[in-house]
Amino acid sequence: MKQFSIWKLTLKIVIVILILVLMIGPLVGIVLWSFARRWYWPSPIPQEFTLRFWHEVFAQGRVLDSLILSVTVALITVAFSLALALPAAYGFARYKLPMERILLILFLMPQAFPQLPVFINLASIFSRIGLKGNMWGIILAHTMASLVFSLWIITATFKSIPLELEQAAQNLGANRFKVFWTITFPLAIPGLVAGSIFVFLWSMGEFTAAFFIGAPFIQTAPVLMYTASMGYNMQIASVISIILIVPSLLFMILIERYLKAEYISGLGG
Amino acid sequence: MEEKIKSPMGFLLILPALSVLGLLYVFPLVRAVWSSFYDRAGNFTFGNYIKVFDLYTRDIIYSVLMTSATVGVVLAIGIVISSYLRFKDWKFLDYMYRLPLFIPFLIVGHAMRIFLAPHGTLNSLLTRMFGVEELPGISGSWTGLLFSFVWVMTPFATLIILGAFKALDPAYVEAAQNLGASKLRIVFDILIPLSGPSIMVAMILTFVRTISSLTIPLMVGPNKPNMITIDMMFRVNYFNDWGVANSLGVISYLIVMGLAIYYLRYMVAERGGIKG
Repeated sequence: MKQFSIWKLTLKIVIVILILVLMIGPLVGIVLWSFARRWYWPSPIPQEFTLRFWHEVFAQGRVLDSLILSVTVALITVAFSLALALPAAYGFARYKLPMERILLILFLMPQAFPQLPVFINLASIFSRIGLKGNMWGIILAHTMASLVFSLWIITATFKSIPLELEQAAQNLGANRFKVFWTITFPLAIPGLVAGSIFVFLWSMGEFTAAFFIGAPFIQTAPVLMYTASMGYNMQIASVISIILIVPSLLFMILIERYLKAEYISGLGG
Repeated sequence: MEEKIKSPMGFLLILPALSVLGLLYVFPLVRAVWSSFYDRAGNFTFGNYIKVFDLYTRDIIYSVLMTSATVGVVLAIGIVISSYLRFKDWKFLDYMYRLPLFIPFLIVGHAMRIFLAPHGTLNSLLTRMFGVEELPGISGSWTGLLFSFVWVMTPFATLIILGAFKALDPAYVEAAQNLGASKLRIVFDILIPLSGPSIMVAMILTFVRTISSLTIPLMVGPNKPNMITIDMMFRVNYFNDWGVANSLGVISYLIVMGLAIYYLRYMVAERGGIKG
């Protein structure tokens, strides 16, 4: 055992406080603002508290509409993304593909290059075919952008399932399709769930594509939050922020096992 | 090599995903490059690029400097945290550094606007602690932008670096320790050199994510100079000028090109591409 040292203890306390201020500090302001009726400098906390802005979210209106829109977009994006990634991931995990390197590079490209130019050009293409200012335009953009990480997670999951299990079933006379649905798919469900959560969270928080493609008619929750924050409507912006953060933090704890850096690089937007 | 099935079925399985990627990613990408060489009337021109260098040279330099500064600070902090967690299991730090991972950038931007404003929560705390009347806010300045970038980028770079540190054969570290090497020596002479490729990947992804971030500079950045993403947005939204916006996009591609190629080759070749 080391000797007890008052200096070491003090240093540790200072470091803990510093970390708390730096990491939790930025989030405290959002929580306080979401309950503030009046908050003028130099008061450390709001002078008057209110639940009005939280109530406003769950009453009919712009905020609720944008949240419903965001959840709808995210759910459909998850469905599309899974429908595309599931067969593709199986293909990458189990088949020898022609030009595999080029295909891999193609699927990795959205990670390695800035996405903004793609989104603004997508918005311009969509405006010609009536998908701009339209929920389905945002869903298509989100499906494309989130495909990269659902594909990665699900491919990794398929690769982790031993081939012997599938071969055993095949030797007993099951065809490939049956093997997939009875052996591979059930074993891959945790990976599918993790992939879906990733895609859902990413879509819920995505701003850039939703902003350019949704304009001028529809606003997802992050877009409305941006408008509110820029218009110094701090309360509404903060309430939406909290609603978007809480599920993320919960899921982060749930899917800790799947926290691989390469997947997460796409998150945040 | 593991046994893989050779069958055209494999290609058919990835075809739907590939088509979506081609139609919604590659096509807009090619169109961005293409239309950066055309003016509004549809004539071939280098005018857009000339305009970009006239108007935005300073912003391009600023973006690269800002991004490089972010990468430098992020890697430094990431290596410090990773080294500490490699030797000591401190749950508090382990959870704290990962906190920003899943928070959308836009919300980080909003949080930083409140935290770093002249009359924001940070200054509210600091003025009380040090008993001063006023402190300047750093939101809306390059320092605030740097702080916000570092805040969101560090956890993710740390995750990669710490993963590499932990994956190293402990025998190297133990051998050095038995020979009496200090922890600092072990970090600089063993951990960092042997984790080179992972640190490079952390660097590249931090660089690309920072220079292509729109929301953080939109929320906390100064009005001037701007990151090039902001310039692209203004060109489209206020001037409806797609040629110049796309030229800026192409320039941002050129800036990350070398890094992107290294990243793609590394991911595909050295690690066998998509891997668990």
